[in-house]
Amino acid sequence: MARIVHYINQFFAGVGGEDSAGAGPVLLEGPAGPGRRLAELVAPEHEIVATVWCGDDVAADKVDEILGLVRSADPDLVVAGPAFTSGRYGLACARVVAAAHQAGVASVASMHEDNPGLDEAGAAAVVASGEVARRMAPSLERLAAGVGRLLAGHTLTAEDGRIGKAARLTVVTDDNAATRAVDLALVRLGGDAAATEIPLPRFDRVTPAAPVADASTVMLALVSEGGLVVADNPDGLESARATKWLRYPLENRDALAAGDYMSVHGGFSTAWANEDPHRILPLDAVRELEAEGAIGGLLGEYFVTTGNGTSVANARRFGVEWAADLRRSGARAAILTAT
Amino acid sequence: MERAGIPTAVLCNLVSIAERVGAPRIVRTRGIPYPTGDPSLDADAEKRWRRQLVDCALEALQTAVHEPTVFEPGETRVAAAAGVDHA
Amino acid sequence: MRTVTLTRLVHQVREVGFGERTSFADGVLTVSPEQARGVLADEALASVELSWVSPGQSARIVKVLDAVEPRSKGPGGGGIFPGFVGPARPQGSGETHVLRGATVVTAGFLPRAQEALVDLSGPAAALSPLGATHNLVVEFTPAQGAPWERVDAALRRGALRLAAALAEASLDAEPDAVEEFPSPSAGARGGDRPRIGVVTNLQTQGSFKDVFVYGRSFGAGLPTLLDPGELDDGAVVSGQFGHPALKNPTFLHQNHPVVAELRRRHGTDVEFAGLVICPEPVEQGAKELISLFAARVCAAAGFDAAIVTKEGGGNADADVALKMDALVDLGIEPVGLYAEMAGVDGTGPSVVVAPERATAMVSTGNYDHLLQLPEMERAYGGEQFALVKAPATASFEVPTAVVYCALSPLGWGRIAARSG
Repeated sequence: MARIVHYINQFFAGVGGEDSAGAGPVLLEGPAGPGRRLAELVAPEHEIVATVWCGDDVAADKVDEILGLVRSADPDLVVAGPAFTSGRYGLACARVVAAAHQAGVASVASMHEDNPGLDEAGAAAVVASGEVARRMAPSLERLAAGVGRLLAGHTLTAEDGRIGKAARLTVVTDDNAATRAVDLALVRLGGDAAATEIPLPRFDRVTPAAPVADASTVMLALVSEGGLVVADNPDGLESARATKWLRYPLENRDALAAGDYMSVHGGFSTAWANEDPHRILPLDAVRELEAEGAIGGLLGEYFVTTGNGTSVANARRFGVEWAADLRRSGARAAILTAT
Repeated sequence: MERAGIPTAVLCNLVSIAERVGAPRIVRTRGIPYPTGDPSLDADAEKRWRRQLVDCALEALQTAVHEPTVFEPGETRVAAAAGVDHA
Repeated sequence: MRTVTLTRLVHQVREVGFGERTSFADGVLTVSPEQARGVLADEALASVELSWVSPGQSARIVKVLDAVEPRSKGPGGGGIFPGFVGPARPQGSGETHVLRGATVVTAGFLPRAQEALVDLSGPAAALSPLGATHNLVVEFTPAQGAPWERVDAALRRGALRLAAALAEASLDAEPDAVEEFPSPSAGARGGDRPRIGVVTNLQTQGSFKDVFVYGRSFGAGLPTLLDPGELDDGAVVSGQFGHPALKNPTFLHQNHPVVAELRRRHGTDVEFAGLVICPEPVEQGAKELISLFAARVCAAAGFDAAIVTKEGGGNADADVALKMDALVDLGIEPVGLYAEMAGVDGTGPSVVVAPERATAMVSTGNYDHLLQLPEMERAYGGEQFALVKAPATASFEVPTAVVYCALSPLGWGRIAARSG
């Protein structure tokens, strides 16, 4: 039976609100606040033997003291949170688990992926919680699952809801990948249905926008990751690993002349696109829609980047920037051509 | 963009990738190097295919979806509703 | 049952140089520049320049195109590189002479080539197979008005001819090693050992991004059970110049790492069940067809497990994912070799297209892991390293993605990413 010590803030410990944010840290016996439900979820294999709470205003600077109290209860695992999106609380949780991890004690924190404290968890694991305290129940369930896996000796991955800097670190191996592949095949044939060197990825859920109600009044935007730029690529869009996006005018143009445009995308043969740029940006067809009144209008410029080995972080950033730009411009629907 | 309330039709060939990353409105194209083209067709036929793709995209933009949904270009009600006759 | 054996007569190259005559003796390979230029001559090339670039030198090769290991089956080639040097006929049996430790490397600008780099010393040397070989670097100037496709074809044919000509110099030399490989036999049961095969996807995206089998693009091909000995004799030739770290040059087809591993362990803990080569179509429907078909070929050949290799980036991941799922559906255990695009700090999602049902993946490293490369005395292949807009000899920081074969999808490399 593993001994767990739970770190929470003054509010979840039932001590008080902002008025008590300067108090603590204090060591309590057994679980407290949301720790009670967490204790139920991890029973009977594991036990929350103690709780440490600290006021949000002072916790982040009293990490050593907090850790001292935590360790005095002799934990096998330190759990902190769920902190949801509370910045001070999240920061404290992150620092506590980072410190515990550094001291050689397994630890895991729980907070929302947007919590500003997330970056300070160091090498310790953080699992995602819901956004608000109303999501406590499912957040605790995920946290409890993560606790179980950690105590069973596993490393938490994206599949467990792990967020933050769970880095994939480059290592030099004794055997080349061919040897490791044959070894892995034998392990799988031997009945291990889970062995792998790469844990499976998980992407964001995208909440769909409401559909366009009346297309004849909507301004449409054309955007693309096909790397279509004006000839000679004067703004230097990369062929791979793009770090930027560009915009080029469409106003007063009904067609894109071959020779005026080129695709710099390095992930496919661009001969066809260079022969007819409409194969990447369907300006001619969209102008027809406009002329027929099927759409209200076309935005006077298009956005473009190269979708070839683009980092997810950059792609996400481009999307956010395109969304903001389009909203400012009045465009309320988009066609994105992908290659 | 979807999150910002701008419905976006993704025209792509590797539909499974688009589904995997959660794009809600996906229109299937015929080839990676030519999302809105088809070089195996003559020029007029290719333009008609491109128009079909764009019509399909417009339909996708006007359709409520809850999860990644693939739209196959073909006859669309949008063109019919706009009263346009396609050869 | 008919068994075919490919015998490699391996000659170790320990020293290289230029001289009046091309010769090989006692580990020393001497090349006649005049003869080599004659072999490389083509109306699409105005001139070529030859240099030996060897391990340990303060040297960097940029704009690396293809690399070929010198091999020959007899005078005039004896059938080597069928479809390019020899006539397009199946090979893979009899004797093949190998000059191990040397390569012919073409380097320079071609359109749509993504700039690849090899360092012969420093931290990047161990990341590329060319960091450990004596490389006969062929730089070139295209003839005025020559279409790039013709330049590409001329370089390819020239490099293969030159590779054959160099190996020809070793035909009478006593080999340092003799390696014999019987061809895998479909369906044979060798005791309790599991039958493990390999499925190798070849990039087939048209000009400058194509792979050739018997001299023809494999783009329209169907998955094919190919005797691995044919790889030894150069039946598969690379004309693909994208994704430097994920490139499979002719050299690595000739020395296919997964085939080598399965041959090594054949009769010990595995039965080498065979090799299936497949095109990588650019279109989803064709990808699905090829993947389902490939799984059936593996089943017909009695594979218990299949190791799947690719060529390229995220697009190629889709082919690996589809194959792995198709194999799992037929009860064959798949293992996919994937490079990860996890971002500079390793926290991005690793894989663009993972299989939906299969899960066994080997990591060949992180595309984005940064390398600090030192200044070099000499550079070949170009004056600039365009990616960082610096002189090719400069010191600069680059992602692993630019080092030739560093993330080798054929499994050559000794780097991986692990969760920290």
